[in-house]
Amino acid sequence: MKNLITIGLPSKGRLKEKSINFFEKNNLKPTSNGGERNYFAQIENLPNSKIIYLHAKEIIQRLGDGTIDVGISGLDLLKESPINLQKKIEIKKKLDFGLADVVVAIPNDWIDVQTVADLEEVSFEFRDKKNIRLRVATKYPNLTNNFLVSKGVTQYKIVPSLGATETYPFIGSSEIITDITSTGKTLKDNNLRVLKDGFILNSQACLLVSKKKAAKLQLFLNSLI
Amino acid sequence: MKSKKYSEKIIKVFKKDGFVLSEPDVLLDSDYIIQRSGENFRKLMLTFEDDTGKSICLRPDLTIASCIKYLKDNFRANSKIFYSGQAYRRSNSSKDKVINDQLGIEILGSKNKSIDDLKVLKTIINSIKKIKIKNTSIKVGDVSLFQNLIESLKIPERWKMRLKKHFWRPQYFEDLLNRLETNSDVHPAAVDIDKKKFSEMKNLDQNNEIANRKVSEILFRFDKKIKDPRSFSENKKIAKIIRDFLKINCSIDKLEKNLKKFANKNKLSNSIFEDLSTIKNLAKINSKTIFSTNFGRDIEYYTGIVFEIYNSSKKEIARGGRYDGLLKSLGSKKNISAVGAAINLNNL
Repeated sequence: MKNLITIGLPSKGRLKEKSINFFEKNNLKPTSNGGERNYFAQIENLPNSKIIYLHAKEIIQRLGDGTIDVGISGLDLLKESPINLQKKIEIKKKLDFGLADVVVAIPNDWIDVQTVADLEEVSFEFRDKKNIRLRVATKYPNLTNNFLVSKGVTQYKIVPSLGATETYPFIGSSEIITDITSTGKTLKDNNLRVLKDGFILNSQACLLVSKKKAAKLQLFLNSLI
Repeated sequence: MKSKKYSEKIIKVFKKDGFVLSEPDVLLDSDYIIQRSGENFRKLMLTFEDDTGKSICLRPDLTIASCIKYLKDNFRANSKIFYSGQAYRRSNSSKDKVINDQLGIEILGSKNKSIDDLKVLKTIINSIKKIKIKNTSIKVGDVSLFQNLIESLKIPERWKMRLKKHFWRPQYFEDLLNRLETNSDVHPAAVDIDKKKFSEMKNLDQNNEIANRKVSEILFRFDKKIKDPRSFSENKKIAKIIRDFLKINCSIDKLEKNLKKFANKNKLSNSIFEDLSTIKNLAKINSKTIFSTNFGRDIEYYTGIVFEIYNSSKKEIARGGRYDGLLKSLGSKKNISAVGAAINLNNL
């Protein structure tokens, strides 16, 4: 069906709940005819539509390759994705949930390090005295590289992480991390501290649209915004 | 083919001058290079993963590849080498070539600075003469002069380090100078915060490590940071001295006089620009060489003389310089001085 609108929504957690809420508030009620774990759903009063529940990261990729037309995902994940992918996606609306910051965090006991400028010096110490590079564990290598290099920190090495990044500095896998945080509690509980000027990105949930599909989506989007 | 003829002639000159063929590896371990050169180097490298998940790159630079080979061979290899091969660099600009044919020479473990600098310069200049490229021009800089200038200034150590290390990123360097001018370094409140923790940590085992840093290391730096002046009065004057220095641009035979004038004007010791032996030697070969203090700021491993040679249409046909720190940063335990240069066959 040419006019079918395919919508990607996060498949898990609070982001899923809030995304469904957002649709409901706009009189678009997702209903699933299968069990609770069915990954497909419809919108009651919008017959030409289909909802697919996907991993938030995958929503970005599927918007890029055109398998879905509209989706909700985090700004952090969009900005982390390759430039070519970002160019294919338009941010239609920033939503008022999923608020979190991507930050640079260091061990709390590194009392001599308060700012990125300090970190820069310490990174040079690592290079000159230990002849190794400061290691930065992260789920966001692209955002991290752009941020650190723009602030003059160049002597480091990225350690890719998939989760529980907060543990890395204390198990010898990295010295510092960059990660996403909303309240800062996980960082604090794991003895980490955000640098004073270590804010890489203010992230939030966004309504995203595949640019190629913009024409056919116009009516639908009007009902959402 | 024209370039084949060129390279045969150039290699003859290299050999005659005592350089011995070395064939550095084409494929290098990416992590090894990143570990030692920093993450920003990755942008230049063409990398792929092999079946085991190891990241491999095509050699981005023949100097680095030659140094890695030299270290791998445990210095048993000849230390006065030439190479002929391709370097592979990623680039965002379509103007730059990905594959660069290079013919170069290196003196690894250079023991006499002015003799070896001159040897490299002469060999390259003679090679270019041999293939009858006319109307060439030479531009030269000397990174160590900048380093000496910064060392001699009365500014906090923290600033010295920063200015020296970021010389290589002109854009960020300009930011730094602006910060120096306006004295907006670190917020004073930021320093006070952990004073309480400082005294607590003094009671810990000083050899304990927190994320790869000893407690003693952290406390030492904290203490130093508090004592290092946050702001200093002559910041504007200092920024101007640095800016003025980076404007020096003259023919090589006038350099000594200009540096003296600059030092006197700014009440700096004349001795900071004392070591000009290579420059003076070069002036004897080619007095029309242009010297610029602002030159050579795009490759971080240079530590002394840096030069480029251009053809009549201003295309770079050769470049080189002294790099005394590279071998150490690539893993050598001792300092190994080195100097080298390469001819870019693509632009001939």
